[in-house]
Amino acid sequence: MSTGSSNHEGTSQELSLLQTLRLKGRATPNALASATGIDESTVERLVEDAVAAERCTRSGQYVKVSPAGKERLAELAAAERASVDQARLESLYEEFDPYNNDLKVLITDWQMKDANTPNDHTDADYDSEIVSRLTALHESFLPWLGRLAELNQRLAHYTARFDTALDQVRSGDHTFIARPIADSYHTVWFELHEELIGLLGRDRASEAAAGRAV
Amino acid sequence: MTVLRLGQCPDATRELIGGKAFSINSMLTLGLPVPPAFVLGTDECTRYYASDRKLAEDVLAELRSGIACLESTLGRTFGATNKPLLVSVRSGAPRSMPGMMDTVLNLGINDSVEKALREETSDAEYAADTHRRFREQFRKVVGSDPSPEPWDQLEAAVAAVFDSWHSPRAVAYRRHHGISDDGGTAVTVQAMVFGNLDDHSGTGVLFTRDPVTAQSAPLGEWLPRGQGEDVVSGRCTPLTLGHLAGNMPDVHRQLMDSASLLERTFCDVQDIEFTVESGHLWLLQTRSAKRSATAAVHHAVTFEKEGIVTPEGALSMISPDQLSAFLRPHLSPTARIGATVLARGEVACPGVVTGIVVGTADEAEEMAEQGIDVILARPTTDPDDVHGILAAKAIITEIGGATSHAAVVSREFNRACVVGCGEGSLMDLVGRNVTVDATSGEILDGILEVEVPSKDTHPDLQVVTQWLAASETGNDNPLNKILAAAH
Repeated sequence: MSTGSSNHEGTSQELSLLQTLRLKGRATPNALASATGIDESTVERLVEDAVAAERCTRSGQYVKVSPAGKERLAELAAAERASVDQARLESLYEEFDPYNNDLKVLITDWQMKDANTPNDHTDADYDSEIVSRLTALHESFLPWLGRLAELNQRLAHYTARFDTALDQVRSGDHTFIARPIADSYHTVWFELHEELIGLLGRDRASEAAAGRAV
Repeated sequence: MTVLRLGQCPDATRELIGGKAFSINSMLTLGLPVPPAFVLGTDECTRYYASDRKLAEDVLAELRSGIACLESTLGRTFGATNKPLLVSVRSGAPRSMPGMMDTVLNLGINDSVEKALREETSDAEYAADTHRRFREQFRKVVGSDPSPEPWDQLEAAVAAVFDSWHSPRAVAYRRHHGISDDGGTAVTVQAMVFGNLDDHSGTGVLFTRDPVTAQSAPLGEWLPRGQGEDVVSGRCTPLTLGHLAGNMPDVHRQLMDSASLLERTFCDVQDIEFTVESGHLWLLQTRSAKRSATAAVHHAVTFEKEGIVTPEGALSMISPDQLSAFLRPHLSPTARIGATVLARGEVACPGVVTGIVVGTADEAEEMAEQGIDVILARPTTDPDDVHGILAAKAIITEIGGATSHAAVVSREFNRACVVGCGEGSLMDLVGRNVTVDATSGEILDGILEVEVPSKDTHPDLQVVTQWLAASETGNDNPLNKILAAAH
């Protein structure tokens, strides 16, 4: 990706950066680059600009978003929301719901064999069946991600992030199924869900109360 | 032909007299005070069907002589207007078929018997209620209004219980469980006793040992002038057994002796129902007591120490689930008894921890860095709460189920988690010390005592370990695997 000369791309990248920082709480520039799909040198420059504008703080290798940065994020998100076809987004969100339910059940099955029995991962057949289910879910979900990217190019990088997480899982690193902080399949999924809620102008509490984000 | 007076036939098999009569017969054979009863064996059921669903003349005669026996034992008379005898008529198959077969209680009542009961108990409401319940149950089981003639009631109820062996639901049940339609049900006829007669009457329940805290002393409830249902339903607040000991020391002593005999006979902690009628103790039922994990382990050790069971027998008193639960950190049973429940939700990740409630992830992180144990309470969790979940000892949420974000992240970090406690249920708890029991899904007030038994230091576990090592089934025993995996 280019370093971005157009104003539109600049605000889009700034939005990506601030949003990712909000979602992750704190992150290294490295992690920001892989999560946003923006190259590292551009991320460095964006972080420097944001720190100078007091929208971010930097402590050691970690970057955090400041209260002023959250205000800026709200402005940018509102502008993006106004530019997106909301009717189309609503219908995409309805399509997302069954995938979301499947994924949540799958992750819970990965962690618990039943309500009282944590999965101790000693049964390789049980675990590999869940990896197969995740693979099947991923493949059926890809076309949906494509339609989302058509609607909002800023979210196109999610496809690559899901691919990466699944590749890690299939190569044997099962922490990439559900591990928080790492860019596991569940982490990426949850961040995408958060993006959708924000883009629709909703909030998580009311989505949770409606049974969609719980 | 088989009609047996229970307590006089020590060799009667479960096959012949059914489970219910078998249990009554065992208690009577031990010499324990159980309301008198007789039974029509399962072979009578076969004969009933063979003779076109008619009770033979000799069976009718046996019913009369059986009732006469109950009358002489209790000094009551079936259908009489002075000290009337009421009976229960119960089915009893050799193999238990819960809820499938029919029972009629309080049989032998009519308008004049109701009047006699009213005068005897000085309780018009009780007498009317007993009559009403009889009519309802009789109609349901027999399919017609009861005759005012108690003997007709009895014959109709016995026939209906035999008929119920071939009721569609009973047949379907047997088919589903692979039980043969051959044989049949026995019919047990037992005298009813009255816990509400006078000041020397009442009803109660007794655990031979505490099923929660594991103390070896008996524990029970006593409701003077009460009936069985009053205790079970929780409608009335019962007294302790100490009150029974104070008012009727002989009855209390007899109850304790009986309880101890039942324990030794059945080699297990017993849950006993009893009634006292005008100063006379009657045992109605006994069964193995359900118990906490702590109690299961401790009672097994105590039973072996007291010589009631062998080490092998003691091992069979502990289920694998109970041992697993005991090995995990758990709330002290004694602390739990007095605790106040502040909120309840769904268990997402098991565990028991204590700490102070905080309302934001940042606070959780800051206080945890100072070495304080915190419980993170949130309406529902966001991605930027993850660092708070990591810092907290437990996570509790108002909205959300077992697949929620909070649940998934908590399980990944192995943090105790209770979700879905209800909107508005948690955020007021901020600043309070609480105990999160994420095995029961309860948020309890205050810092309660949490037990973490170690197999190397806990005396009961050391004993269990020794038994397993000496046991022939040692390595294959599922308890062994659980204990070996413990810290």
